[in-house]
Amino acid sequence: MTRGSRRSLRPEAIARIARLELRAKGVVEGVLAGLHKSPYKGQSVEFLQHREYIPGDDLRRVDWKVWARQDRLTVKEFEEETSLRLTLLVDGSASMDYRGGRAAPPAGAVRPSKFETAATLAASLAWLALSHGDAAGCAVFDDRVRRGLPPRSRATHLSEICDLLEAPRNAGPSDFQPVLTGLASTLPTRGMVILVSDLLGDRDGILRGLRLLRRRGHDLAILHVMDDDELDFPFEGPTRFEGLELPTELTCNPRSLRAGYLEALEAFLAEVRRRAAEVQADYTLVRTGEPPEVALVRFLARRSRQAT
Amino acid sequence: MPSFGFPPLLWWGLPLVAAPLLIHLINLLRHRRVEWAAMEFLLASRKKYRTRAVLRQFLLLALRTLAIAGLVFALAQPRWRSSWAGLFGGGGRHLVLLDDSYSMGDLSPGAGRAIAGVESAYDRGRRVVERIAADLAGAGGSDELAVGLSSELSSGSGPPQLALEWLRIGPGELQQVREAAGRTQPSWTAAGPREPLGFAAAVAAEGDAPRTAWIVSDFRSRDWQADETATAVRQLAAAGWGIRLVDCGLPAPPAGNLAITRLEQVGGVPAVGVVLPVEVEIRNDGTAPARDVPLELREDGAVRSGLRIAEIPAGGSITRRFEVRFGEPGGHVIEARLPADILPADDVSRAVVEVVQAVDVLLVCDDPAASLDHGDALYVSAALAPGAGAPTGLRPRVESPATLARLDLTPFDVIWLLDIQRLEPAVIAALEAHARSGGGVVFFMGPRTRPEVVNQTLYRGGEGLFPMPLAGSVEVLPSPDLPDLVAEDHPVVAVLAGRRNPLLDAVRVDRVLAADRSFDEAGSPGLRRLLSLRTGGPLLVERPYGEGLVAAVLTTAAPEWNNWARGNPAWVVVMHELQNSLGHRRRQAEGLRVGERFMVSLVPGVDEPTVDFILPSDGALVRRGAEAGPDGLRASLRLTTPGAYTARWQRLDGTERERLAAVSLDPTEGQLDRVGRAGLEQTLAGVPFRYDPAEALQPASDSLAGVPLAKPVLLGLLAVLLLEQAVAYSASYHPSPIARRRA
Repeated sequence: MTRGSRRSLRPEAIARIARLELRAKGVVEGVLAGLHKSPYKGQSVEFLQHREYIPGDDLRRVDWKVWARQDRLTVKEFEEETSLRLTLLVDGSASMDYRGGRAAPPAGAVRPSKFETAATLAASLAWLALSHGDAAGCAVFDDRVRRGLPPRSRATHLSEICDLLEAPRNAGPSDFQPVLTGLASTLPTRGMVILVSDLLGDRDGILRGLRLLRRRGHDLAILHVMDDDELDFPFEGPTRFEGLELPTELTCNPRSLRAGYLEALEAFLAEVRRRAAEVQADYTLVRTGEPPEVALVRFLARRSRQAT
Repeated sequence: MPSFGFPPLLWWGLPLVAAPLLIHLINLLRHRRVEWAAMEFLLASRKKYRTRAVLRQFLLLALRTLAIAGLVFALAQPRWRSSWAGLFGGGGRHLVLLDDSYSMGDLSPGAGRAIAGVESAYDRGRRVVERIAADLAGAGGSDELAVGLSSELSSGSGPPQLALEWLRIGPGELQQVREAAGRTQPSWTAAGPREPLGFAAAVAAEGDAPRTAWIVSDFRSRDWQADETATAVRQLAAAGWGIRLVDCGLPAPPAGNLAITRLEQVGGVPAVGVVLPVEVEIRNDGTAPARDVPLELREDGAVRSGLRIAEIPAGGSITRRFEVRFGEPGGHVIEARLPADILPADDVSRAVVEVVQAVDVLLVCDDPAASLDHGDALYVSAALAPGAGAPTGLRPRVESPATLARLDLTPFDVIWLLDIQRLEPAVIAALEAHARSGGGVVFFMGPRTRPEVVNQTLYRGGEGLFPMPLAGSVEVLPSPDLPDLVAEDHPVVAVLAGRRNPLLDAVRVDRVLAADRSFDEAGSPGLRRLLSLRTGGPLLVERPYGEGLVAAVLTTAAPEWNNWARGNPAWVVVMHELQNSLGHRRRQAEGLRVGERFMVSLVPGVDEPTVDFILPSDGALVRRGAEAGPDGLRASLRLTTPGAYTARWQRLDGTERERLAAVSLDPTEGQLDRVGRAGLEQTLAGVPFRYDPAEALQPASDSLAGVPLAKPVLLGLLAVLLLEQAVAYSASYHPSPIARRRA
């Protein structure tokens, strides 16, 4: 294990997550020894459900009896236990470099940046997947995928993922739609896609990308990483805010804008939740100020509840 | 319109109003930098709340500026005065009568500084003038102000001059008032308040405008306990003036002022080489005795050995006599100087002595040769000029009455007429003119003197030269027990005064020309006895005549009717004292006070019409003589500083004339005791006036300075501060509770 992986894999996080079972809600591709259900609702022994025919579906799975009775094309889906193909999409744009805890120094301790939090989460999830024999891949992107590793299940893949996450990067502005669209076309088989990002960018593009991934049959989850400062906006005194991605700056008395800021933030979070629900993506808000394992437990517990 | 109690505070404090803006700008420069990801929410917030935030910031800035302005405003003691009076042309008239007598130069240490400093009662007075002007300027600018100095208003020559003519006072005129006050200095005069008060009473009222007389003075008891002053104030109040008394004196009674109140030659013959007695009088106006006081003396500017006075009692005076002797003829200046004290002006005094080569004395007798051989002239001239071994400075000259008509009598201080039988009317007229112009005349009686002639030609019912009418020759019967002569209380015979003086006791008077019994000595103005006979009759009398003196000895000079001149030293002494006494008036140098005029009479056809006055500062002023009645022209100079003045002019024959005058201060002005508020209330009982010490001068009344605004301003300031706190909290300039908890 490299130095980068050791940094991303916080022992206390792994220790707590290891006690949990990683359960996907029902759509999992790959094999994870009897615990995961395959996202391939193909020719299995146990019928699961009918669904509308989508162009591209295997004509062999069209239920012709239903077509004969109802004059509509449906395909039969079967539940099949399979291994998980987990793809972690980590937002590496400039906005992820924000490191909080400096709003009211010296009281606030310096927290990890959003990217560091995202990397920790991603590495931990990869480790969980790999430890269960699943395949895990990872991609770091901003306006395009900067670095990527395809999902693999070999044990050494974790180090490669950690190295990828810890590698130096030249962060630029984010652009979700081409990234997600590209991934949707390149991911060979259905699996689980977890987007770890602050989602600060073109939200319509995010929705379109996620919708395409969802349409490709991927199980989606969003780990929305936000810094405590971004959520609470506790700044005092004259401050000049300089955009990490937007080429703009604003000198103001932060408290005079706090109400409006929180108002806009709430609207943003509500929109994100609504759009995540639209594409049936699990949404979990992660604060950089909280321990990552707490966030992961919350994420996995919810998925576990949804799976049962 | 607002006025201010402390306008300078306003001008100094107003720049502080810019402090909130500066702090705001500095804070903008001192902001913290934060690289921020969620700019879109921030920009959205600003877009929504920008107007509100900016308005709130401006409001906060305005409130803070207002708070500081309010504080400065309140500290400057604002007052509100309605400008209605100004609109209706009813602005008041304010006449400041500034006491510039030399006591205002009082440098008492109570003023919080050393003697060598700059603060004096007069300095405080000037500040009071500026303060009054500032009050008026702040009160709407509809009031008029004039400033008069007591010395100028008391000069008595020409129309009174104001130091600042009537001026409508607004903020723009303050500098003019300040400069006018700054140009003035304490004078050397002792000008009192009466003439300035009279001047104010004569200032005409204009409509119903209120008039206020501000009397800015040190209020010395000498001036303000006088009935005349109280009368003048009453007249002023009756003329419709409001009376404001502003005391620039010190709160504590002054202590330790010594003043030279007199310095003069007191006799002697002012001739070259002759010792002259000079007296100096020093008064202690303090409350404690002055001990071991050195007195510096100067002759013509050169320091000579001085005096040291052991003690001068508190409130008392002491006189010391010293002698001077000058080796050159001409005018000589004697100067006495005390160590500088709280009132330096009266610590120096000067006197002028006009010294001649010798003083001519004219002895007139019917037979000069015989008289000089064994008669009256012998004994008188021997007494006045005994010889080279005893220089007296006197130069007797013996003439007969016939020559008097042709003789210029001007050079003779005293003319001695020794048993003259008869004088021609022209001679009598010349003698009378001589006496009127200050000369002295001494008559000795004798066997040739005819009482009826004396009465007819010389006494003339009291109009003539002779001091009393004569009755006739009377024999004085001898007495074995009592002396024939009795010395009266007179400086000439003071040396002989006493219970029994052996020299005087030795004098035997056998015969006199007795005074007419019907003559009323007491009813004759100015008549004084110097010596009396045992019988009660007069022997030696004197009477002023014009500016001079006439003495009459009712017996002979030669030891014919008496034995006085025969070997009795008292004879010499009395003759010298008589000569000095009668001649002193003629030779007495001008003793003038500051504020008076130095007058020189010019005779048309004899004198040039212009006179050069040489000032103590060595400067010179030329004055042309002005008509002064039938006698001729008169050139004069108003004396403004103490010291020695010289008047020089030329006669048409080319000769130069010169007169000296020693100008001194009025010593009464050195009495620094002050009347105080209680004394003024007593003296000015019934007169409405307001009294303020200079350092606590308050505006005249609300009608002058307006309603005090300090309290409402402070309440407004409190409201502004509360509002500021609320807006500051609302604008999030206070630390949030969350941040405090975190801290």
